[in-house]
This record gives sequence, structure tokens and C-alpha cells, in this order.
Amino acid sequence: MWRKFLRRSYIIGILHNAVKFALSVFALSVLVFAISRLAPGDPLYAYYGERVEKMSAAQQEEAMERLGLREPISAQYARWLQGAVHGDFGISYQYKRDVKEVIAARIGNTLLLGGLGFLLIFALALLLGLFCAWREDRAADRLICKIGTVTSCIPEFWLSLLLILVFAVWLDWLPSSGAYSVGEEGNVADRAAHLILPLAVVVLGHLWYYAFQVRNRLLEEVRADYVLLARMKGLSGRQVLYRHCLRGALPSYLSMMSVALPHILGGTYVVEAVFSYPGIGTLAYESARYQDYNLLMVVSLLTGALVIFCNMLARTVSGRIDPRMRMRFTGGGGEVGGL
Amino acid sequence: MKKKVPVLSLLVLTGIVISCLACGLIMTKDPLYMDLAHCNEAPGKEFLFGTDTMGRDIFSMIWYGGRISLTIGFLATLLSTALAVLVGSVSGCAPARMDGILMRLTELILSVPGLLLTVFLQAVFGGANVYSLSVVIGLTGWMSMAKVVRTEVLQLNHTDYVLAAKCLGGGFFHVLFRHLAPNFFPSVLFMAVMNVRNAIVAESTLSFLGLGLPVEVVSWGSMLSLSENALLTRAWWIILVPGLFLTATLLCLTNLGNYMRGSANKRHSNLGCRE
Repeated sequence: MWRKFLRRSYIIGILHNAVKFALSVFALSVLVFAISRLAPGDPLYAYYGERVEKMSAAQQEEAMERLGLREPISAQYARWLQGAVHGDFGISYQYKRDVKEVIAARIGNTLLLGGLGFLLIFALALLLGLFCAWREDRAADRLICKIGTVTSCIPEFWLSLLLILVFAVWLDWLPSSGAYSVGEEGNVADRAAHLILPLAVVVLGHLWYYAFQVRNRLLEEVRADYVLLARMKGLSGRQVLYRHCLRGALPSYLSMMSVALPHILGGTYVVEAVFSYPGIGTLAYESARYQDYNLLMVVSLLTGALVIFCNMLARTVSGRIDPRMRMRFTGGGGEVGGL
Repeated sequence: MKKKVPVLSLLVLTGIVISCLACGLIMTKDPLYMDLAHCNEAPGKEFLFGTDTMGRDIFSMIWYGGRISLTIGFLATLLSTALAVLVGSVSGCAPARMDGILMRLTELILSVPGLLLTVFLQAVFGGANVYSLSVVIGLTGWMSMAKVVRTEVLQLNHTDYVLAAKCLGGGFFHVLFRHLAPNFFPSVLFMAVMNVRNAIVAESTLSFLGLGLPVEVVSWGSMLSLSENALLTRAWWIILVPGLFLTATLLCLTNLGNYMRGSANKRHSNLGCRE
């Protein structure tokens, strides 16, 4: 086992990916920093928002000096980067606290909602896609396709509103906001009850898109010649579908789901905001509303870095399970040619 | 075998678009007038879809606001399509290194969820109006399409007629519009329709969250921004009506887009599990 891990190509693959990750995150930070300094007019707005108008000219001057806004943007970025490398991302002007603390207090909630949502979508889409491919063009498949198209068209925030209206206002079965009731922070049942509606929206909003892709991919696979051979060998249609077609479709499903990550995460953010669920998404919208650019910048950067990381992971994994994808590094990042 | 034309979707979509454009003929009330004597009134004879928290007639607001939602969808798509065609074709024609840089950049921007990026840009730009919102949504919606355009251009670049056009001295834009664009037009069209859909979703989400259009500017999204209040007063029509129109429009656009994506795969399945 150890031998395998210590293989040279494997280590090179990991190093290669680590360097690529670092470069990507660096480039992303440049981009995000540039956007946050795009604010037209007074750069002080980027820090204080509308509070600038209440400051005297001398105060403004002093603030500009203190924040280093007189320096060129490259110098400002260098200073920010220096702090960031040491774990100092500046302070949030809305919460008057370290950005890192504000995010750390909430990231767990987001990872719980987003992670559970992603896993559920991942599993359910595969099952639903398999079922539809098995029943291709029959009544069940057609019905599911119709319903699926409609649900995938409903904007997430409106679906959230509908569910709140029905299950929280009319039926009064489930809570409509937050992650837990006051004083019930450790109560698992209470947390689960608060999680049901947001989770339902995250899953319903994305499920069909991916299930439909699985279905179509399987329908392609089912038309391949090897299926005829397998049938001739005496396998039943069901066996061929599960044993052969599914295996052929799985790698592309994996890479598709890695691309899905930013979409699902973005959806989670919207859902959080509607349900006032204390996570990164709600934080992002609040900081946008109060012009807390520093916080918004770090949230964007963090989200982007997470997505980049997961994409690389997925590429490596699909490289390992699909021999067709192994190209440059047999062990590590199965670099797909073409791009 | 060709796909069926989505007649119903086309009809509904045309109906909504025409009604919104000709909203002056349909509206029964002034959509901006706040009739404080009739706040939160349920749908009835006088107010067909009821009134909102501020006493405005929802029936009139739907058509009046739809115009703004559709305009933003259209303008944003125009911008994002132009950007996508430009970046995609430059990247497809450029030398490998330049192509690599452009594609890395595209993927980099794609790694931040679209709505988060839109919120970020809109917050930095400040004060949203119809045009600034269209620009922001357009700026964040070109990446996937650019990748598609690039792939198509890369394939087309190796065809003899593009080579011939280049050898005869055809410039970049000549080749792009004369030879490349007509070929990648179908796949771009499908994505453009999806971009209209995404732009409308982005507008309504942003306005709903209070980051887009203010309540005074009527759009389907800003109408829904009153829903927090509506949930408290159980005024379901304030939430239901604009959302239904929004969803119907999105559904029609999706069906239309799927139809444009090309003909269906209709070879027979080899599974042979049917008669």
C-alpha cells in the first residue's frame, strides 16, 4: 500500500496540483481585489459605505492616509496579500470584528446545508436518471421529465417562499427561519427541523438538471454496440444497464458533478438568505447590503477556492476510476487534454 | 426524426411579451398609484389579482413590471452574448499561450457562483437601476457560452474554407462574421435563450433580496421583495401571482431553448427491454 503512495509519479501529481491550486487562488485574489476597488468615485466608500458622508474632510483625509488608499493599487494589493498570507484578512466593517472570526462562526452551517444538499442531489440524481433511462419514453419517464422541467424552472427564492407559505405559515409544521430555536443550539431534532425546508429547496432546485443529464448520458450508452454483445451473452437488459452502461456513464457524471459545485453552492447561498439561515450566504447578502466589501471579497475568494479545490479533487478521482482519462500523470491529476 | 415545436410555450411566451409591451391597453389601474385605503386586499372584482402591501394593483403591476424584467433579461443577454462571442472566438483563434490564459481566466471567474459574483459587482457599483443591473448581470453571464464558442471555433478553424478565407487575406472580424458565426450560431442561440432565463432569475433574486431594483421600480423581482411582509399578513397573492408569471416565463424559455438545442437522439435502444 505504502509503495503505491510513494510512487514518484504520484508525488509529482500531487505537487503539480498543489502548485496549480496556489496559482489559481492567487489569480482569483487579484481579480476579487480589483473588483472590490472598482467602486466608482470615492474609494473610502469601499470601506465605510454611506458613513463617509457623515465624516468631516479632515476625518476623510486621515482615514485615506491610515488605510493606505493614497498608495497605488498594486501596493495596496501587496499589503493585503501580506496580511492574508499570515491569516489576517482585515476587519469586517459591519460586524466590527475580524473577518476570519465572522466567517468561522458561520461556515459550519453552510457546509452542513450545502454538503448534505450536494450528497442528496448526487445520489438522487443518479437514481432518478437510472430509473428514467430504464423506463425510457414510457409514461413514468415522460411524467417525471415534465415535472422535473417545471421544478428546475422555479427560481430558488420563490420555491423557498412557497414552502414557507405552505409548511410554516398555513400548516405551521416547520420553522420558517434560522438554524435553531433560541436556546436550543445543541438540540439535534430542532436543528433537523430547521434544516428540512432549506434542504428541500436546495435539492429540488438542482435535482432534475443533473438527473436529466444522467438519463441522457445513459441513453447514449444504451445505444452502444457493446450492449448488443452483452445481451447476446445472455445478460438481461437490467443487468446490462446496471453493470455496463452505468459504469460507462459514471466518470462523466463525476466530472459533471464537480462542475455542479459552484451552482449548488450559489443556490445554497440564495436559500440561506431567504431562510435567514446563519451561514456564509446570508453573510454575503448582508455584507452587500451594508457595503461591507472587505467581507464580501473574502467570502467570494473562499468560495472560489473551495470550488477550485473540489474540481481538482474530482478530476483526480475520475482519472483514477476511468482508464480513458489517465494521460499525463498515471497517479495524480488526470489532466484532460484539449483545454 | 425532428423534435416537436413547443407550440404552447411559444404561445404563452408571445402572449406574455406582447401583453407586457402593450401594458397600457391591459392595465385596469395605475400600477404606481399607492391606494392606501386598499392595502393587502385579496383578489376580487375591482383588483383582479389583489393589491400589495402598499396598495398598488397587482394585476396592472404584473404587465408593467414584466416589461422591466424582460428588458433586463434581453439587455443582459445581449451584452453577455457579445462578450462570449468575442472572448470565445479570440481564444479559439489565438496562439496556444494566449488561448490558455483566456481560458484559465474564464474558468477562474466560473469558480465563483454566478449570483455571488453578481451581488458583489452590484454592491461595488452601488445604486441599481435597470441599465446598471443589466450590465452587471451581463458581465457575469458570458463564461459558459464563451467556452462553447471557443470549442466550435477550434473545430471550424481547421476547415478548408476558413483556411482559404485567411489565405486570401480575410481579417479576424471578416472571418468571424462571415465564416465562423453562421456555423456556431445554432449552439449560441440555445445558450442565449438560457442566458435570458438566467438573467431574469438573477434580476428577480437580487431585487427580492433588496440588492437590485428598489421597491418603487416595479419588476417581478421587486414585487416579490414585499413577500416578507406578505408572509406575516398571510397575503398569499402577493407571493403567488408574480412568482407564477415569473416561473411560466422561465418554463417557456427553457422549452424553447431545449427545442433549439437540436434534434433528439432517436436511434433504437439496444437494451431491448421493450417489445
